[in-house]
Amino acid sequence: MHGEHIKHDFEPKIVAFVCTWCTYAGADLAGTSRMQYPPNVRVLKFPCTGRIDPVFILRAFQKGADGVLVSGCHPGDCHYMAGNFHARRRFAAFRALLDFVGVDLNRLQFSWVSAAEGGKWVDVVTELTERVRTMGPMPEFKELEHEEQWSTFAEATADKSQVLNTPELKEAYDSIG
Amino acid sequence: MNAKANKNHVTSIEPAYYQAVTEAIRKEAVKILKDETVVGVVGYLPGRRQGTASPALVTTVEEAEKLIFSPACVNNLSVYLTKAKKGVLKQGKVGIVAKGCDMRALAGLMTESQLQREDLFIIGVVCPGVYGFGVERTGTLTEANIARKCRECTVHMPEGADVAAGTHTELADLTPEEAEEMARIEAMPQAERWAFWKEHFSRCIRCMACRQVCPFCYCEQCLCDKNRPQAVESSPRPAGNMAWHLVRAMHLAGRCGGCAECERVCPMDIPLNLLNRRMAKELKELYDFEAGLAPVDKGPLNQYKEDDDQSFIK
Repeated sequence: MHGEHIKHDFEPKIVAFVCTWCTYAGADLAGTSRMQYPPNVRVLKFPCTGRIDPVFILRAFQKGADGVLVSGCHPGDCHYMAGNFHARRRFAAFRALLDFVGVDLNRLQFSWVSAAEGGKWVDVVTELTERVRTMGPMPEFKELEHEEQWSTFAEATADKSQVLNTPELKEAYDSIG
Repeated sequence: MNAKANKNHVTSIEPAYYQAVTEAIRKEAVKILKDETVVGVVGYLPGRRQGTASPALVTTVEEAEKLIFSPACVNNLSVYLTKAKKGVLKQGKVGIVAKGCDMRALAGLMTESQLQREDLFIIGVVCPGVYGFGVERTGTLTEANIARKCRECTVHMPEGADVAAGTHTELADLTPEEAEEMARIEAMPQAERWAFWKEHFSRCIRCMACRQVCPFCYCEQCLCDKNRPQAVESSPRPAGNMAWHLVRAMHLAGRCGGCAECERVCPMDIPLNLLNRRMAKELKELYDFEAGLAPVDKGPLNQYKEDDDQSFIK
């Protein structure tokens, strides 16, 4: 049970948005059953996967998550009858959008984990953590967070060709001298 | 659409066509104002400058006789009927001039219970296309100055209108620019796609013109204006811009009718309609849904099927 502690230079931050009725209970079961899983995951409890807005996922990435897990009840088991069905469509669309803007979908995992599936929770979390670990940190959103468009604009004006790339702007710039 | 079989292909759309449509709109508008079917008509009046048109609500017969339709009539007028601007609808039934793409917005708004069909009198326009932005606005509409969205329009014939003005005519041999651009982006490696969108979104100045002009952005309080908790940073910084545009595209998924008004009004030339198109394409593939072809009970993200694809879920 007690795996040897491996030293890694990179510890991924994983944020898990979970449904209180199943996955949260499943994670709890994993804990009470003393199952071991990577401590990289931060669990956030929601009333239902239907409550999880794509904005939350974006926000997690922006605030430094290297991977995001969204987990809820198996189809048909939703406490609110259909929350997970709606979430399923929403996330299918959201994945397509993220893919289109160039986010690696391997960092985003969806799963169904019931209250009885402590083992599955461990598997999902372990797999995602290890996958993200081999992928390395996610720099994209963090870089955005630290960028200031107007300050880079100011810096870039030293090199006219960088910013003033339209003939009209170039002419106007040159006429200033 | 179903009229595809007997359509006319020409190399330029002469002003005479628009004149005929204008006459038809005027006749209809005058008629419905006279017999008091409607209290006003939302349409286009000539703009102050040559080659422009401005949206207007006309309430008298004299004004109705000045209504026009020209390739400069780019605005989607349905935005004047949504919740935030609902003053127009208060007085009673209104007439509205709508091109095919604007009809899609109207159908979408009916789907979302923002409009009632019986409150509207729709003067549909069989539209051969409108001017693009930043082009020569001469008399004829040609391949050189037609709007990007019109190059791959599928709704030249407005369906579900009370009357339709014009006959079916469209430009021949238009290259589908947006479809090509989307295919080009989709073919890029992931990192390049990110760089592409990052560059575009970083230029956003958060003027929110895209939101103001969109018929579907009718929320009285926008998620992106809230700061307790703050979901999306509201200052024009790259991080918040990326979030705003993704949220916007997500909120329009399965609703956007493709009028491309967001892209038209964008002062920074961000290709916003590409995002909308991508989402529309995805929802068509996944759930066989196309927004705005007719009012429906529920949009694709408000309903579900038990056997929806879940191959991405572990």
